[in-house]
Amino acid sequence: MESTVSSPGSTTVAQTAQNTGISANSLARSFGHVVAVENIDFRAEPGKVTALIGPNGSGKTTLLLMLASLLKPNHGTISVQGIDPVSNPRAARAVLGWMPDTLGMWESLTGREILTTVAALYGIAKSDAATRAQELLELVSLEELADTPARVFSRGQAQRLSLARALVNNPAILLLDEPASGLDPGARVQLRVLVRQLADSGKTVVISSHVLAELDEMADAAVFISKGKTVRSQTLAEAGTQIRGYTISVLDVTRLREFLEAKNIAATYAQDFDSPRGSAKVKLASETEAAALLKELVLGNIAVTTFAPSAGLLEETYLSLEEGTP
Amino acid sequence: MSAPVRERQVQPRAELGYLSGIRTIFKLEILQRVRSRGWYMFLAMWFTVIALVVGLTALNVGAQGRGTGQLMFELVVAFVLFFGLLIAPALSSNSITGDRANGTLAILQNTLITPGQLLLGKWLAAWVTSLGFLIVTIPLLLWAMTYGDIYFPAVPGLLGMLVLELAIVCGIGVGVSALANRTLFAVLISYLLVAMLGLGTLIAFGLSMELVRVDVKASNQEWSEENMNGDDAIWDPNDYTCGTTLYTQPAYATDRNTWLLAANPFVVVADAAPRPVLKPGQDADLIGPMGGISEMVRSSQAGIANTIPCLNGIKNLDTLPEKSSPLWPLGIGLQGLLAAGLLVAGRAKLRTPAGRLATGTRIA
Repeated sequence: MESTVSSPGSTTVAQTAQNTGISANSLARSFGHVVAVENIDFRAEPGKVTALIGPNGSGKTTLLLMLASLLKPNHGTISVQGIDPVSNPRAARAVLGWMPDTLGMWESLTGREILTTVAALYGIAKSDAATRAQELLELVSLEELADTPARVFSRGQAQRLSLARALVNNPAILLLDEPASGLDPGARVQLRVLVRQLADSGKTVVISSHVLAELDEMADAAVFISKGKTVRSQTLAEAGTQIRGYTISVLDVTRLREFLEAKNIAATYAQDFDSPRGSAKVKLASETEAAALLKELVLGNIAVTTFAPSAGLLEETYLSLEEGTP
Repeated sequence: MSAPVRERQVQPRAELGYLSGIRTIFKLEILQRVRSRGWYMFLAMWFTVIALVVGLTALNVGAQGRGTGQLMFELVVAFVLFFGLLIAPALSSNSITGDRANGTLAILQNTLITPGQLLLGKWLAAWVTSLGFLIVTIPLLLWAMTYGDIYFPAVPGLLGMLVLELAIVCGIGVGVSALANRTLFAVLISYLLVAMLGLGTLIAFGLSMELVRVDVKASNQEWSEENMNGDDAIWDPNDYTCGTTLYTQPAYATDRNTWLLAANPFVVVADAAPRPVLKPGQDADLIGPMGGISEMVRSSQAGIANTIPCLNGIKNLDTLPEKSSPLWPLGIGLQGLLAAGLLVAGRAKLRTPAGRLATGTRIA
């Protein structure tokens, strides 16, 4: 699990440009009458993993395509490492790595050939391309399948190859569209570690995913979009201070109810039908408040079995956005 | 992801040479093609069919004197051209729409490759692939040569134009492929365009006949007594005089509309190859399909002078132009314009960041 990923500030072209990450302002893009992105502000810092979160059809992929220099926004500005991908797409592509949600691969080519071909398309010399391909294959644990046609790859393997492909030019900016879908739990953990390392090495990593619990452990910041608009940008540190739901499981739910009602804390209760066990869900303003309540419960002699946030940090925000109460 | 990796820094140059980009795309295309087994089966079938046709032709005409080799040679050229026109559009129309459907086009577009390099690489690959059809027929061409009666000055013209025609058809296919959103649609449009060249030119020529109908003053041919009563062997069809009684007769001035045939691929190939000049008294060799087309076009170009032996009381042999102007430069020009136009339009369509997208399509 310990792999070292190319450090930033080293040799990519990106570093000759300013290492400013991504910033996009009031982006809009429509396809005919369908407005995919209405008004998105987006920022991603170098050295950080920025999660892009939103329901299906909220404009995540459209946003990533605009950032990846493939789609022209109708309105708004983008800066990728200080480069405008609309006016100077080639310079932007030199510093970009993009992993699309559709896993297109040249099926009759082997993993190694795919990587060396893409390397050649970045102008990397043949011998360097071979070295790079080998490194990347090891990085995504595909050495054994390196010389097998991509046709026989499973979805998870294709996913890893696609990630390796996005890394061929050692990009300073990495855009990952749903990279975890289709991966088995082991590969998800590996992906998480790898993404973390890539960010720690100074790259700007943008990752869109539905699996919010996973993003919790990887992301430093999150941008929530819904119906083509940025609804919230926050860092995970900020998320820690927001009102969160906690679930308290106890051996005797009646006693818990009496205790909470005495303290005027609103809660919803659930009880097992064959025992006094049960749980309560409460909303608490901060982690400090949660710690204080737990202490009181224990001191009040309530038999608490678990006391934990009902949902992950990002999920909490996501759900609160869906309720319309940010 | 688990192994410790010592990463050597590889420095992308952020510069992709123009030719090296084209070469990479070319290699990518060819690599995919040579790995498909269907492709080899197709080539084998192709060889078998042509070998059968050519072999049977050789058997049939073998006894009829000179020209068997030439006939076989031209037959192979005609076949490769005919099937090239049928196969090349299908092969090349898939080259970009296929990538679009697979999601690999956007991956290419996201690298340093330019739309022009992408198109040129794909076009070259489609062309080289279609040349495969010519290459597998080399044994048959060599066999034709063993008859020793091939008119060699025509060989470079026939083969060169054939190669050029395949390049144009592939250019049309790749250009349409870049413009179309779906493979089926691209194949359909390329076929229609190629059919427009192959059949459309014939139809246009036929339909324009009414427009070039003119009334001419003709008179009867009169043959001398000796010629009429003489032995068949010494009968000279050109030894006649024209009568003085003129009458009006409808005729087709095909010299005015033969140019409509110029863009026909068969006409281009046939017209570009020089024809053997018969020495006086020499029997004409067996004529192959390309030679036939060439002679028909030349006589059509001559127009009324060729079809009316006595025009205004003057013998047509006296007024017939020595040589008609070649038609193929016009043909190849028109075809080149069509292919180039499609490729240029296709290049604009491949440019990213993309502005307008057709409804129902995705970039990736």
